[in-house]
Amino acid sequence: MRKIGKNGLLSFGDKYRIYILFVAVFAFMSLFAPRFFNVFNVTSILKAISMNACVAIGFTVVMICGQLDLSIGTVITFAGVIALGLQPSLGYLASVAVAIVAGTLVGVLNGLLVAKAKINSFIVTLGTMTILQGAIYELSGGNSISVSSPEAFVISDFLSKSFLPLITPRILISAVLVAVVEFYLRRTRSGRNFYLVGGNRSTAWLAGIRTDRYTIAAFALSGATAAVAGVFSVLESTSATLKLGENSLMYVISATIIGGTAMSGGKGGVLRSVVAIFTLEMLYTGVILFGLGNEVKIFLAGLILAYVVLYEAYATYKHEKSLGQRPELMKELAARKSASA
Amino acid sequence: MAVGIEKAAPAQLPAAQEGGDNRALGSSSAGRLVSAAGVYGIAVLFLAIGALLQLTGIIRGFLSLQNMLNIVDAAALVGIVATGMAFVTYSGHFADMSVPTTMGFTGYICIELLRFGFLPALAGAIAVGLVIGLVNGYVVGKFKANPIIWTLAVNYVTMGVIRLVWVNKQIYPDMRGSGQDAVALFDGIYRLRFFNLIGLPVVILVVLVVLGQFVMTRTSFGAKLKLTGSSLRAAKFSGINVERMITASFVLTAFTATIGGLAVTSLSRVGAWYNGAGYDFKAVTAIVIGGMTLAGGRGSILGVLGGSLIIGLLNNVLTLLGVGTFSQDMIRGAIFIVVVGINAKSLRSLGRDDA
Repeated sequence: MRKIGKNGLLSFGDKYRIYILFVAVFAFMSLFAPRFFNVFNVTSILKAISMNACVAIGFTVVMICGQLDLSIGTVITFAGVIALGLQPSLGYLASVAVAIVAGTLVGVLNGLLVAKAKINSFIVTLGTMTILQGAIYELSGGNSISVSSPEAFVISDFLSKSFLPLITPRILISAVLVAVVEFYLRRTRSGRNFYLVGGNRSTAWLAGIRTDRYTIAAFALSGATAAVAGVFSVLESTSATLKLGENSLMYVISATIIGGTAMSGGKGGVLRSVVAIFTLEMLYTGVILFGLGNEVKIFLAGLILAYVVLYEAYATYKHEKSLGQRPELMKELAARKSASA
Repeated sequence: MAVGIEKAAPAQLPAAQEGGDNRALGSSSAGRLVSAAGVYGIAVLFLAIGALLQLTGIIRGFLSLQNMLNIVDAAALVGIVATGMAFVTYSGHFADMSVPTTMGFTGYICIELLRFGFLPALAGAIAVGLVIGLVNGYVVGKFKANPIIWTLAVNYVTMGVIRLVWVNKQIYPDMRGSGQDAVALFDGIYRLRFFNLIGLPVVILVVLVVLGQFVMTRTSFGAKLKLTGSSLRAAKFSGINVERMITASFVLTAFTATIGGLAVTSLSRVGAWYNGAGYDFKAVTAIVIGGMTLAGGRGSILGVLGGSLIIGLLNNVLTLLGVGTFSQDMIRGAIFIVVVGINAKSLRSLGRDDA
């Protein structure tokens, strides 16, 4: 694990950065943004993030494993298109199941190609992304799919209506998934092994961990969570547009890195990524509430990602530069020099 | 570390490398197939398949001069972008994902500046492209940022800038206004044909390939870049300014992406943010099919040219067969993964892991 700054306060700030950021942004928006701090708005933020929060679960685990999954955006759309496309012939339960299984299989394929065929994950997922992009258009005929049966509206209503303050069934599904995976990663042996595999693959292998299995499992989870996110998203909106998952990759990568998951693997957490997604969504909502347009939001999203990547890279750069340096010796030398002079 | 840059030193050194290093890949016959020498064999194979399909009457119009020109024209746009991006791959940094919006953005800039004349517009667009390349190269080279994620971030930022400045609008060159000469010249970037046959993009591609091949194999820059791509650490310890090498490779990519972007914009006569969409993947595919390994330090620009031609041929044959654009995407994606897989396998048998 990489540590930045010997200062206790600094490392504390680094460790809990995302939570501090979350509180700060929430406080700022509540104080200054018009119509921000009320149950309706916070619920709508939660609704807005429930898709990307779900996607972030699998993506974070893949990143903890030291890999990258660029295909998540297309898996979301793919699963959505399958779920609504098959629903007239199969019914809801079966089509949803098929969609989630299809997403998981894409993940398993990614994992097999990365772990067994030993191809770089960026390349593999870039390839599957292109394949899925074609498949989405072939399956849908290039148009968005929408359903308008009474049944569809009942399901949509059920998923989007709050049964407790702030919580709708769809938000609950994402929250439960986040909690389960977070608990699994932190508190079980096999969960913690994901960190070992990402932190140092060969050491993990020497320690008797089947690294290939963990890599495949991580990609399978990523495919599954992306598919679940896509399926419930289209069930709630009763239509699957072909741009459903278009921006998810950017949002989820930014959030995962802001949340403190290391790009090189072995460090991070699912909850942190989700808190980061919440924070980003508050910022974007704030941008809209302040009366700025959607263009500003897109620009800001890109800028935040660039800033975070640069910040992380710069911190590592500084840290590596300081390796092997002994500042106290240099100080002593300088003191001696000035004493003799 | 899978998406990182540094790799372990090779477990066994390839034999003396005279006459290119294609042999180093050739420990398996499949590996030899995808290496640079074999890439033209594959191209000829595709040509033969196309000819066979026509002779058996399955497709029509493959063996015509016009169709061959179409193939070359299509290959030229991908080839131009891939020639530059190959330097990033060669330096061991996989790919530059900021290419699509670099192409779109420079197209906007050029159209906006056309009112000041053609040359200032060209210069402005290239300058903007080079700045993007410099930023990419500096951040990746100096701070060792993950090249994929960083260039992806730059892609989004540039996209944001386009959306912010032009508020989601496409812009068109003013065909009737005062700067007509400039617009006509701009229009000619894609449409100018020598002897009514060879388009300007093809000429640009040939020039770029010749220059690129020369730089990569015959200059000290190319040799240093090869070492940088083979082992960043070894290159650094042997006194090479690796930061400058990496920056240069990203600047070259941005330069050719700008040229490609201008050609695409000239072709469609519209400045749009989606002008370069898909070119990142097409270029990487051309590079990989051309026998350049993603681990860096192996491959040639001539191979990349062959890769671009193969993509052009494949698209052409599939289109003549009546396969839709989106199915073609799927086929290209599958071929891409298979080729990289074969490549990685032959590298591993050499003791060099492409992970």
